[in-house]
Amino acid sequence: MSYVTIDQVTKGYENQVVLNDISLVLKKGEFATLLGQSGCGKSTLLRSIAGLEDVDLGRILIDGKDITNLSPRQREVGMVFQSYALFPNMNVFDNIAYGLKMKKIKNIKSRVKKMIEMVDLIGKEESYPHQLSGGQQQRVALARALVMEPKVLLLDEPLSALDAKIRKNLQKELKRIQKELDITTIFVTHDQEEAMTMSDRIFVMNKGQVVQSGSPSEIYTSPVNTFVAKFIGNYNVCNMEAFRKLVRSTELKGNEVAIRPEVLQLVSVGEDSLDLQENWVIKGIIKDVSMTGNVLRYEVETEESVFLVDYLHHRGNMFEQGARVHILVPKKECIIL
Amino acid sequence: MRKIKKQKIYLLALLLPFIMFVIGFEIGPLVAMIKNSFYADNGIQVTINQYITIFKSKFYLQAIQNSLVISLFSAVVSVIIAVIAAYSITKFSQKIQNRILMITNMTSNFEGIPLSFSYIILLGNNGLFTLLFSKIGWDVFADFNLYSWTGLILVYVYFQIPLAVMLIYPSYQGIKKQWKEASSLLGGSTSSFWLHIGIPVLLPSIVGTFSILFANAMGAYATAYALVGSNYNLLSLQIASLVASDVALKPQLGSALGVLLAATMIGAMWFNGRMMRRIRRDLK
Ligand SMILES: Nc1ncnc2c1ncn2[C@@H]1O[C@H](COP(=O)(O)OP(=O)(O)OP(=O)(O)O)[C@@H](O)[C@H]1O
Ligand SMILES: [Mg+2]
Repeated sequence: MSYVTIDQVTKGYENQVVLNDISLVLKKGEFATLLGQSGCGKSTLLRSIAGLEDVDLGRILIDGKDITNLSPRQREVGMVFQSYALFPNMNVFDNIAYGLKMKKIKNIKSRVKKMIEMVDLIGKEESYPHQLSGGQQQRVALARALVMEPKVLLLDEPLSALDAKIRKNLQKELKRIQKELDITTIFVTHDQEEAMTMSDRIFVMNKGQVVQSGSPSEIYTSPVNTFVAKFIGNYNVCNMEAFRKLVRSTELKGNEVAIRPEVLQLVSVGEDSLDLQENWVIKGIIKDVSMTGNVLRYEVETEESVFLVDYLHHRGNMFEQGARVHILVPKKECIIL
Repeated sequence: MRKIKKQKIYLLALLLPFIMFVIGFEIGPLVAMIKNSFYADNGIQVTINQYITIFKSKFYLQAIQNSLVISLFSAVVSVIIAVIAAYSITKFSQKIQNRILMITNMTSNFEGIPLSFSYIILLGNNGLFTLLFSKIGWDVFADFNLYSWTGLILVYVYFQIPLAVMLIYPSYQGIKKQWKEASSLLGGSTSSFWLHIGIPVLLPSIVGTFSILFANAMGAYATAYALVGSNYNLLSLQIASLVASDVALKPQLGSALGVLLAATMIGAMWFNGRMMRRIRRDLK
């Protein structure tokens, strides 16, 4: 069942532990994402799998084989770097063919051609890297890794140097190719939206540890701690004592409560149709309104803290800045941490 | 539009001293040399006899050949050593790298008469090491003669290496670590990386360095003069003796030799350019 196994891997530099006893398991063909803030050890973990860094403790297995002590060239993994790392003195064809030549594999031409078709670069075979756009270079880098038919494909923030639109396109394309080849993929990003749209499984990392793993919707709807809640969904995280004061209730337990901004509702003060059975009610004042795409985001100040409330943007639900409102908090959407 | 033009004029004005310098001290003498080379010894008749004299004279052809050989040889040897040395330097910590570069920079200015005398003091017939080793009974230098062809090559290589290292070292900064990593993940060994990516990427600077070293050696005069006097037949020594010696001054013939010297350098550059275009097709 498990295709890639990271077993209690620990790695440190001089006086700092970067990977702290990490274990994770992937199934064959899975698209997994390592998600976490800058410096949490994502690249280090990926590079350890590739064999570009040695680990201090633990084992790494691919397809049942212990590869912990193998050199990168023996591991049968492919990697795409954030900076593409294309060979500048070779054209597109030769870049993609390099690995095949090194391994003295036959019918290089047809394999490279097929790959070029797959990443949609027909006609660019003779171009050199400096003649290509960022997105095209990224496709070459992807093709160069995939043509070797690696067991695992490692992608270290491959899209982060591209602008938003090309990035969206390449996300889709990457996903399509990954599905088509059914290749086990580990993708690194610190963009939670990217992780959500692309992954079968997300590993949220913090300070060299995996703090939660699961499908995108699992991670989104039930974060296990404050860190994940804040990092993943802009959750409103509120200290429990403060929350108890706000809703005038003593029945709540736990340390903190996390509530997604889009489950909250705003009602003008004076409207009396409040469902107190299903909801908590908190008084507040609209402090700020901002728009991101089709989402309206209200910042509502309450006696204890500021709540974010997201609304889909359509006519008729605008609240003015300074308006006095009630926030309706559905009881069953409160995640107690 | 007008503003840009005005700016350009200011910039040109700033460049003026430089342009005048180049015209006065480089282009001027070059033109004079070429003109001179087409006059007879009396400086009145226009003729190509000077060139005919050179190409008929075994002596001058020998000088040209010797200069070409020693320049090519010392440039090739120095470039090879420098490519390896510069690579080793990049393996040190930044602090040590800076120190080594400082020393290299200093030694690259160490040439001409001071360098020759240092060699004479250390390795000449009565040189420090020569005597020391013969006392110890270690006869590595028994057959070595500093004032010979081998000695000359040794000194040339010596003064070329620091310059070559200085010129090649920076281009190693352009070799990205991730190219190596990508190569190794694709199954390439260290040597295949250098063969297919490293060296080709370094090539423009290797070739450029080579032409500079070649020109440097072709034109080297003081070092050779101090070491072998006029005992050894080199183009630069012959030119000097024709334009500045106290025996027989023949500035026109000297100019003709000078033109040939310049021509070999231009030829070398042209050849380098062609070679580079063949190997690095990604560069225009
Ligand atoms: N060669 C090294 N020497 C010393 N420390 C290092 C080295 N490489 C990484 N580190 C440290 O290890 C930690 C994790 O680095 P890593 O590159 O894995 O982070 P990351 O999660 O990929 O971050 P980012 O999102 O910024 O790429 C960082 O604190 C970094 O300073
Ligand atoms: Mg990273």
